[in-house]
Amino acid sequence: MMNQSQILAPDARAARHQVWDVFLRLFHWSLAASVTVALVTGFLLDASWVRLHLGAGILAVILVMARIVWGFAGPAYARFEQFLPRPGALRAYLREHLAGAPRRRHVGHNPLGALMVVALLLAVLGLGATGLAYLGGGLKTGPLATILPATQTGFWSETHEALAAIILGLIVLHLGGVIHESRRCGENLARAMVTGCKEARSGDLVAPHRPARPILAAAVVLALLASGGAAVVALSGRPLQDPPVAAAEFPAVYADECAACHMAYHPALRSASSWQALMARLDDHFGEDASLPDETGAEITAWLTANSAETVDNRPASLWRDLSPLPVVALPDTPQWQELHENVDPALFKRRAVYSRSNCAACHRDAESGWFSPFAISIPKENTQ
Amino acid sequence: MKKALILPVLLAMAPPALAGDTSPGALIEAYSAQSGSAPVPENGKALFLGKHVGGKPDTPSCATCHTNDPRKGGQARTGKPIDPMAPSVNPKRFTDTRFVEKWFRRNCNSVLGRECSAQEKADIIAWLSSL
Ligand code: HEC
Ligand code: HEC
Ligand code: HEC
Repeated sequence: MMNQSQILAPDARAARHQVWDVFLRLFHWSLAASVTVALVTGFLLDASWVRLHLGAGILAVILVMARIVWGFAGPAYARFEQFLPRPGALRAYLREHLAGAPRRRHVGHNPLGALMVVALLLAVLGLGATGLAYLGGGLKTGPLATILPATQTGFWSETHEALAAIILGLIVLHLGGVIHESRRCGENLARAMVTGCKEARSGDLVAPHRPARPILAAAVVLALLASGGAAVVALSGRPLQDPPVAAAEFPAVYADECAACHMAYHPALRSASSWQALMARLDDHFGEDASLPDETGAEITAWLTANSAETVDNRPASLWRDLSPLPVVALPDTPQWQELHENVDPALFKRRAVYSRSNCAACHRDAESGWFSPFAISIPKENTQ
Repeated sequence: MKKALILPVLLAMAPPALAGDTSPGALIEAYSAQSGSAPVPENGKALFLGKHVGGKPDTPSCATCHTNDPRKGGQARTGKPIDPMAPSVNPKRFTDTRFVEKWFRRNCNSVLGRECSAQEKADIIAWLSSL
């Protein structure tokens, strides 16, 4: 018994290549999971899932960072030098592939697969960077909050979305490639990414041995995490420039006169000229008479003008800053608002607790602060009163 | 005699209005003194619950916002809740002259397209107070 297994063992080992090391496999499946979560929360679910989306995105970027370090310090098949194809090799592989089948099997990544690996890693990094830019410019949160202006929100969110569409396409191609290669070579590549092993065949293109340096890699990853984390904390702590005036600082006259029929609309939601046009026609105010004594009106107009959209660097202010002052329109009648709410079920606005699309505060808990953060959305339940 | 005395006092107090400067009873007396005839709660009810065409199209009736039962809370067209109008359930109603005047002016203008007369105001407060 003893003898038998001793004889068999070397044979069995010889029949298999140990291709994917344990870190690489963990990395692969964690990245697949975090990217899936980020894609689902980003594309299919609403803004209230943003925390999970951010968590998944940050995890994906950290994983990719660690993978890049491993690409220099890992074992043979994890290393970029082993699989990054030179253009000549790629052309030759494609030619062979189109002519029939390549004669020899790449045990590690074949040149096309390697290109896919690089594209996926870059796409995740790009998504992380544009996501951070969107978070900073648009939501005034995170390390880029004081660096990027809110007026760039549209650019960063669109780039982020475009990259997400690209990575979705890459994933489809990647899955297609895996299925195609598995069929062609008669081996289950997905299982190889679980077990780490592939059976040895004659003519395999194997990589020369390279020693892994896990301690060095861990140290570099930790150093990167620590310095990155410190930079993020330091940058995120800087005070914002031109934040919206706090609701607690609204003058009493505004709360008394302009929050009787509706929530106190934040002055940063409109430009100075739009407020002046609205205040000039209070007797015909969205189908109601909201007229005031002249001096009260003048006092309120002066305060609204001093705190209007032009004076504030945040997303809502940049969205409606250029609204034409006449005719005086409610924000829900603007294309910007309609685009932001196109995925919101119109029936929600008819709920008794909401009643009007202009009742922003019913769904946006931070509406009176002028922030409208996606972190602060909660749709009121249909009440039974 | 009494009524004639109250009105000037009331008007004198109006400009620097303080919350709690009046009461539904005092307002009814003052408004009917101004109109010269006794309040008719039934007329106030008809005005308050009826549909009108002279005002702004979105607000045909006082009940649009204050509901048909003034002992219950209403809701502005903006979704904001409005406290009940009947002083029996909401003792803060009709206790601030300037507030009452401001809202009569606005709401009558929105619903009727004109201001309410002193008689109409007395009728409405008398009806609301009777609930
Ligand atoms: C029925 C509830 C509801 C009302 C009322 C409402 N919103 Fe929203 N709003 C939402 C929801 C839900 C989202 C997120 C939509 C999404 O992610 O697809 C949103 C998104 C937004 C955003 C973008 C937030 C971000 O950065 O992702 C802004 C800005 C905004 N609303 C402004 C307003 C304003 C201004 C009003 C009032 C004039 C208003 N909303 C009224 C539900 C509402
Ligand atoms: C568009 C909605 C709306 C309509 C229609 C409306 N009101 Fe009002 N009314 C309000 C709001 C809002 C307030 C102020 C908030 C509060 O007092 O709770 C108010 C307050 C009042 C007050 C002040 C009461 C007090 O506390 O002293 C009076 C009086 C009043 N309304 C009378 C009327 C009358 C009479 C009509 C019909 C001619 C009418 N309202 C129609 C919305 C409306
Ligand atoms: C008599 C009631 C009333 C008073 C008082 C009033 N409003 Fe309004 N306001 C309305 C109504 C009704 C709307 C339409 C919103 C809706 O349909 O929900 C509106 C809408 C608005 C809007 C547009 C909301 C949007 O969605 O963009 C702004 C801004 C506004 N009001 C500002 C003011 C200011 C400033 C004052 C104080 C000078 C004021 N309002 C006083 C009744 C009133």
